[in-house]
Amino acid sequence: MAELIPTQPDPGHEDDHHHGEQSFVSKYLLSTDHKVIAMQYMFTGMAMALIGGFMAYAFRMQLAFPGMDVPFFGIVTPANYVALVTNHGAIMIFWVAMPVLIAAFGNYLIPLMVGCDDMVFPKINRLSYQVFLVSAIVLLSSFFVEGGGFGGAWTTYPPLSAKAEYNLTPLGSSLFIGAVGIEFIAFLLGGINFITTAMNSRAPGMKLYDIPMVIWMIVIASILFMVSVGPLLAGAIMLIFDQQLHTAFYDPNRGGDPVLWQHLFWFFGHPEVYVVLLPAVGITAEIITVFSRKKLFAYRTVLNTAIGTGVLSFCVWAHHQFISGIDPRMANVFTLTTLLISIPIAEMMFVYIATLYGGAIRLTTPMLWALAFIFEFLIGGVTGIFLGASGADIYMHDTYFVLAHFHYTFFPIAIIGTYAGVTYWFPKMFGKMMSDRLGKLHFWGTIIPFNFIFIPLFFLGAGGQHRRIYDFQNFPALAGEGMQDLRILATVSLVVMLGFQVVFFYNFIISLMRGEKAGKNPWKANTLEWTAESPPPHGNWKVLPTVYRGPYEYSVPGREKDYWPQDEPN
Amino acid sequence: MTRQFSIIRVSRGVLLACVAWVALFAASQASANDMARGKQLYALCAQCHTENGMGAQLYLAPAIAGLDEWYVNAQLLNFRSGIRGTNWQDVGGLRMHPMSRWLKSDEDVSAVAAYVSAMPKVDPPAVVEGGDPVTGKALYATCASCHGPEGQGMKTMNAPPLVHMSDWYLVSSLEKFKAGIRGWNPQNTNAVMMRGMSNLLPNEQAIKDVVAYITTLNVQEQP
Amino acid sequence: MIQSYLAQGSTYAGDIDFLFDMIFWIVGVWFLISSGVFFWLVFKFRVSGNEGTAQYITGEEKSQKRWITIPHLLVLVCDVFIIWGAVRVWYDIKQHLPEPDREVRVITQQWAWTFVHPGQDGNFDTADDIHTVNELRLEKDAVYHYHLTSNDVMHDFSVPVFRLKQDAIPGRVITGWFTPTLLGEFDIQCAEICGIGHGLMPARLVVESAADHAAWMTEQSPVKFAAVAPQVGEN
Repeated sequence: MAELIPTQPDPGHEDDHHHGEQSFVSKYLLSTDHKVIAMQYMFTGMAMALIGGFMAYAFRMQLAFPGMDVPFFGIVTPANYVALVTNHGAIMIFWVAMPVLIAAFGNYLIPLMVGCDDMVFPKINRLSYQVFLVSAIVLLSSFFVEGGGFGGAWTTYPPLSAKAEYNLTPLGSSLFIGAVGIEFIAFLLGGINFITTAMNSRAPGMKLYDIPMVIWMIVIASILFMVSVGPLLAGAIMLIFDQQLHTAFYDPNRGGDPVLWQHLFWFFGHPEVYVVLLPAVGITAEIITVFSRKKLFAYRTVLNTAIGTGVLSFCVWAHHQFISGIDPRMANVFTLTTLLISIPIAEMMFVYIATLYGGAIRLTTPMLWALAFIFEFLIGGVTGIFLGASGADIYMHDTYFVLAHFHYTFFPIAIIGTYAGVTYWFPKMFGKMMSDRLGKLHFWGTIIPFNFIFIPLFFLGAGGQHRRIYDFQNFPALAGEGMQDLRILATVSLVVMLGFQVVFFYNFIISLMRGEKAGKNPWKANTLEWTAESPPPHGNWKVLPTVYRGPYEYSVPGREKDYWPQDEPN
Repeated sequence: MTRQFSIIRVSRGVLLACVAWVALFAASQASANDMARGKQLYALCAQCHTENGMGAQLYLAPAIAGLDEWYVNAQLLNFRSGIRGTNWQDVGGLRMHPMSRWLKSDEDVSAVAAYVSAMPKVDPPAVVEGGDPVTGKALYATCASCHGPEGQGMKTMNAPPLVHMSDWYLVSSLEKFKAGIRGWNPQNTNAVMMRGMSNLLPNEQAIKDVVAYITTLNVQEQP
Repeated sequence: MIQSYLAQGSTYAGDIDFLFDMIFWIVGVWFLISSGVFFWLVFKFRVSGNEGTAQYITGEEKSQKRWITIPHLLVLVCDVFIIWGAVRVWYDIKQHLPEPDREVRVITQQWAWTFVHPGQDGNFDTADDIHTVNELRLEKDAVYHYHLTSNDVMHDFSVPVFRLKQDAIPGRVITGWFTPTLLGEFDIQCAEICGIGHGLMPARLVVESAADHAAWMTEQSPVKFAAVAPQVGEN
């Protein structure tokens, strides 16, 4: 990591700051600098993404070519299969989307965009990463215990998750749910910092409506996370008790209720979608305004819809449980709230599309990613309507349609959002420009196969095929020949897409080494981070900036330049 | 001339040796491949029967290490075709039936059977209590006619070995036979026969006694 | 749309397919319009390099805001239609329970299905109950009540041709209904992950005519499974 963060020592800096000369360990491993912690989160998240992607490769190969000896993996047994899909889901959501979108971007951007020198609680921030790292190690260790990794879906429904005689891995299931619990503690610690810093450490003159949208989104997401995680954390502890101490919180034979877990889980699980969605939406807002040189259309509306989405997201959880044996009358209420959530989200999408109107759109790599986010997320959004409608969900529930739907939301969020953010802030993070040509190659090499992975799965789902099924040859009436071809198409696309990620890593490294030097503000953007050096030194600015206006004053009539940085007096 | 001749002879000898070596190698490779395939496939079995074939009562999985190859093969085929393990009360069987269907071809079944039979035998811990081996010995006399006096099994009688077997599994199997949860399917002739024999054990205690005796055979054989 | 993949095998399959189609057209039109506008804007306003000037639009004025508030209200109207359709179908399938002609018990466990027909006497837990494993035989056009239970973990009774899906919860008996309308053999899937054998627990569904079904019942009724033999004796 040391090589990846070229710092530009600033002789005058150390004097007026409280940081002295630092050794490698204290500078990069035990640093309290928000930027270093952000990088730690990001690189850990990317490493986990590689593991999660490899899992996807292994089980998709099995689906396309049942019984095959998968290269680099070996034969995929049904037990491997369920463990792989379970951990793929958990890793991609909890160890990739969360650390990269909330923790990495939150850590990196909040102090820089609100104009302060560091997080309010730097040591809590450091602790947060360390706890997160422990959780990742605990999760990965679950693969090496007797019985192997936990294979009961990332939703961890008891009694399957609660009893070793059902899940066949006495320790694996506890390590899994324990890792999730530890990870939540990490993000609770992080969340405290994000909210406090954004609210209390803003640069002089920065009013609430002058905060860049991405910061708002991360703050709202942190609030959503911190509010929703309590019930699940309690539920997770009860589940570990059930597993290891043989209590009966979820055991129906001894007075417990397995459905209780589903409520606790989804009460967290649904807001969680918006926890990772909102930062990605915020990143998109920053990028489309900069690269279309436009003011964000109706800033306050975006903010209000985000808050509205957040509030509504607490009232929709049972749409994951329509057919799980809850009181059927409840489904009507949750259909109503679920479809209502389409209103703020649709409005958000309309706002972004409206922002493009009248712009001067520069199709740079970050802009392509941001536009792709809007379009792909639109597909994810509209297909969600099928599932939110209780009547249609009876058929669609737990089919590949669901799977394709949420990959059309999570992929834009976790992968497209991340690439958009990384390519956009790369000059700031590392002081070098990324190659635009390689960036575009990587973009098309990711987006096109991505659609070819998941569009076929919509058809499989409409054909009634369920997820998490190891091998469809057991279902003669459902597994038509065309269906298998679609599965092979999806798998081949996945392999192609994974292959193109090499381009990204190559671009990343080559740009770090030989990239063109980026000035302070290569994109001519308004927000405060672009007024700091690239990369910003420890402490960010020698003199903290003062803010005079909102973040999106692009192409203001009567000005010579088409941007108007927030810290320029006039 | 002689030299030339000898060269031909030598080269022919070398060629022959090569062919023989290749053939031998291929033969050993074939069985090695079989073993490798068996080991590969056993990964799923290990989930319940454990890596060393000791089995786990929690998962209703008996010890299988070192069972006779013909028996493992036959039982896997029975499970796969559904003539064993598809009675609605047979909880363990209903778990094994789908697992056996993972083995798509008969070659895979034999590969697993070969691998399992080659595993070193184990002595699973005794968990059944309350059996009297002395009474059991008398009762075992009938069993011995097929399963052998040492409980070693007899292929000619289609009788599997009973030693190195999880004692709880012997009890539950006898109970299942008695209740007709095993041996209900007329196609599974050996099981039907065993079902008849199991009725010679009058009650629960008799089952425990005979299993207690079989456990002692287990211990005797060890030194 | 679904029916082109999978035949409609129950009385309410058509309702679900209709609902699906309705949603498909509503959201499809929305998707086409918004992605059309999106691509049109990107195409129209794209510039090469750093040239070009953009307009300054805050989006805070009413005249500008209506470009999003009007579509927004239209979304709300569409939502109302979808909610109405969804609730109607839901009520019919899950909330309302018609009088049954026949009943069947569905018992799930790791990793098998047991289906119990009450036999000739029409009562469960009597000697002439018919247990079948991994095969469900039904009579065409009879209104069935199913009583779904689980012996161990969560499972899900999913019959794609019926468009039916219901989780099985250990410790509860969940009752629902269906009426098969199509003769033939179909698949039953488990749709809730239930351990390592989740993908290996298929069951077959056989829908047969009333006469065939009655014949099958009589044939099975004595004792297919010797397990229940002693009980038959008591009868």
